[in-house]
Amino acid sequence: MAIDWQAFWLTLQLAITVSAILLILGLPIAYWISFSRRRWKFLVEAVVALPIVLPPTVLGFYVLVALGPRSPFGRWWIALTGHTLAFTFSGLVIGSILYSLPFAVQPFAASFSGVDRKLIAASATLGASPLRTFVRVIAPLSVPGLITGTALSFAHTMGEFGVVLMVGGNIPGVTRTVSIDIFDRVQASDYAGANETSLLLLAFSFAVLAIVYGVNRKAWVIGPVK
Amino acid sequence: MHIRKDDLDTMRQLRSTFIAACLLLATAPGWAQGEKKSSSELVVAAAADLSVALQEIAKGYEKKTGVNLKLSFGASGALTQQIQNGAPFDLFFSADMDYPRQLISAGDADRATLYQYAVGKLVLWVPADSPLDVEHQGMNVLLDPSVKKIAIANPQHAPYGRAAVASLKHAGVYDRVADRLVLGENISQAAQFAESGNAQVGFVALAHAVAPSMRGKGKYWEVPADFYPALAQGVVVLSHSQHKKEAADFLTYIKSKETGSLLQKYGFILP
Amino acid sequence: MPDPPTDEGTAIAVSSLPAPEDKSTGPVLDVQFRKTFAAQATQFLLEVEFQAAPGFTILFGASGAGKTTLLDCVAGLTRPESGRIAIGGRILFDAAQRIDLPVENRRLGYVFQDLALFPHLTVKQNVQYGLAHLPQQERDAQAFAILEAFRITHLAQRYSREISGGESQRTALARTLVTDPALLLLDEPLAALDAATKARIIDDLRKWNQAHRIPILYVTHSREEVFALGERVLVLDAGRILAQGTPHEVIRAPQQETVAQLVGFENIFDAVVDAVRPERGTMMCKITGPGSPQNGGALLLETPLVRGGVGSALRVGIRSGDILLATAIPVGLSARNILPGRIAALEQHDVIVTARVKCRVEMEVHLTLAARDSLQLEVGREVWLVIKTHSCHLMQR
Repeated sequence: MAIDWQAFWLTLQLAITVSAILLILGLPIAYWISFSRRRWKFLVEAVVALPIVLPPTVLGFYVLVALGPRSPFGRWWIALTGHTLAFTFSGLVIGSILYSLPFAVQPFAASFSGVDRKLIAASATLGASPLRTFVRVIAPLSVPGLITGTALSFAHTMGEFGVVLMVGGNIPGVTRTVSIDIFDRVQASDYAGANETSLLLLAFSFAVLAIVYGVNRKAWVIGPVK
Repeated sequence: MHIRKDDLDTMRQLRSTFIAACLLLATAPGWAQGEKKSSSELVVAAAADLSVALQEIAKGYEKKTGVNLKLSFGASGALTQQIQNGAPFDLFFSADMDYPRQLISAGDADRATLYQYAVGKLVLWVPADSPLDVEHQGMNVLLDPSVKKIAIANPQHAPYGRAAVASLKHAGVYDRVADRLVLGENISQAAQFAESGNAQVGFVALAHAVAPSMRGKGKYWEVPADFYPALAQGVVVLSHSQHKKEAADFLTYIKSKETGSLLQKYGFILP
Repeated sequence: MPDPPTDEGTAIAVSSLPAPEDKSTGPVLDVQFRKTFAAQATQFLLEVEFQAAPGFTILFGASGAGKTTLLDCVAGLTRPESGRIAIGGRILFDAAQRIDLPVENRRLGYVFQDLALFPHLTVKQNVQYGLAHLPQQERDAQAFAILEAFRITHLAQRYSREISGGESQRTALARTLVTDPALLLLDEPLAALDAATKARIIDDLRKWNQAHRIPILYVTHSREEVFALGERVLVLDAGRILAQGTPHEVIRAPQQETVAQLVGFENIFDAVVDAVRPERGTMMCKITGPGSPQNGGALLLETPLVRGGVGSALRVGIRSGDILLATAIPVGLSARNILPGRIAALEQHDVIVTARVKCRVEMEVHLTLAARDSLQLEVGREVWLVIKTHSCHLMQR
């Protein structure tokens, strides 16, 4: 079979790592966006939404140059880890986290906002701290949104191309993801191989999304019931 | 059926909007038509190592003849793919002779117009502040422990990448450095990896190293010509071009002494 | 003694009368603040100052008067612009000293109008929610104790969407009370319940209140609940307290008209049960009120039968619109109360004529202009008042 399983496995690892990190990282950001009443909240929302509209080349450019070995951040990173951001799996992870951030945070925030405020107030009057209210009331009632956000960031990372192309360096087993593999095959006129790999990626992504949306159909009855 | 007056108004409004939209879309081909090439325009595909040199050549040509040149740079292999799939180029400057020949056999290029316009040179390049003494050590710097990443163009579709691999094998160090190679999509991206410092050293085109933007930013060592098959670079006019005459005129200009000295300035060797 | 027929507007038949106000122990809630709030597309200023001793303090007023906002401010869910809220010396909010205790630290209980039961937790889990700081066994013990007290133990494993309105109410109360709050806020907790359920829940609340003496702010716009529970009433209208005191005092407040409109009866009298006639479904009450003579024959009214034997002290309310006026003694009527009297005053407001008639007590009667003219009524005229048995509404005193 012409499929490069190493590239597929690498892409899977990348997607799982990124969506797991975004689940943890995205929760506090989404919480703040949902519940903060600061006047400059809209600026934060705009920053979070940026990766949706910016081309991946912008992100790639910044990882390569602005966060490169010549920059203060780059030097600190090299001192910390011993290598650059570019050409490494961790570099891809960081780039992908930024790139898929809104795909996690926006569904999270939307589901938090959908929780009836009276329930949150009730929890507070019963003596629960904001953290406990979040864990015992807000999060359980937001599970559909959490699942959606995690699934979207997973699928989005599976299909990532632009950032990887710019900063990956195409190293087999490290940064040669499935999307790069397909691109290379097309350029080398290996249309058969490109087709097989593309179909595999298509089928896999579709299966993941179908399962998630199918499981998500049953939603909690949100809100107080008389 | 009795229709209420406000429904009727809404329907009328929708209908006029719909008609207006149709008219607008009908003129859409006209927009593209507006872009239609006037007879004084050429679209040129060129290998990435020409990115600086060809710009200068084009500017001179435009001043002389008034013909507008649109340049697209990329890896020779990538461009070949695009041309085979119908990309509307008039001329193709490759970094080797094989890709043009490939196009000729496929019927996408005119055999009679094939011309070797230059021989490219491969160099090993490090940033100016690098502790590596590449000018005297040459390939030996690759064995220095501080070299974590070596940038080359992707050998699958870039002639300079193939040349780099050949050089490494010739020097007997390929196996030792293979796991430290990072592949740029084309020779320009490889140069960028090295120039930004993300790769400690890179195999780049001499044309890049001496270009105004990179000159003085780094040190380099010319890889001896016998380390790799010569980078004979060929240009060809494409079969589907609508401006064969203008393309031929430009080719004549390429063969002129003026262009020759310009190419030499950029480190190319004239055939 | 059979229970009287109950319908909207009649008294709530409770099994016991309220205990005499116990001012001895327990912290006092001290409230004074200002808050701008929006209600029904207009902005109101809520400005209040009052104290609530342990026991029931009713917050009474129409919708939009600011009752819920007041509770929210005391709870800490909304911040007033200025003022001070303290309970038993413990400061919850003080604008001048920049103190604003977060909600979860105020140790209060709040039962919301729509209950806000957690839909993803069972009844037992809901009730245990506020007890997280206790060890498992203790938590279970206390939860079961209060589930028993409110008679909802059999619902422990059910979810809120599976239980009835009354059961939800009791769950919400249990959940709040089990945390042993220092202050209890109830926002129209009985609104959508039938009278029988209301009566039982009020009994439960009273029993609990006797055991735990804490201030309870109870919001309602139901007059019946005021009289059933009211140790103290604060009448709220457009963000201000119009009157405060016992229900008895509030009725006699200077702004009689507004309060009367809120309360719904223009005529309210003290009554003592004189005789009961269970076979007829009625009883005789001796009426006293403003304008009643100190001596002489008492006014006796035949009223519907309610619980409470001879000698029970009650109150009777009669709407001005329910009283008929006759210029000659009427015969052959079904009404049981026909009282002779004399017109003491006649006033016209728009198309209503208000007649004050002295008949041992002073009654206010509403008539149409046409009636006044065709009967040729004038001050001093002798008339008869006709009042049906069921127009006499009995309330707790």
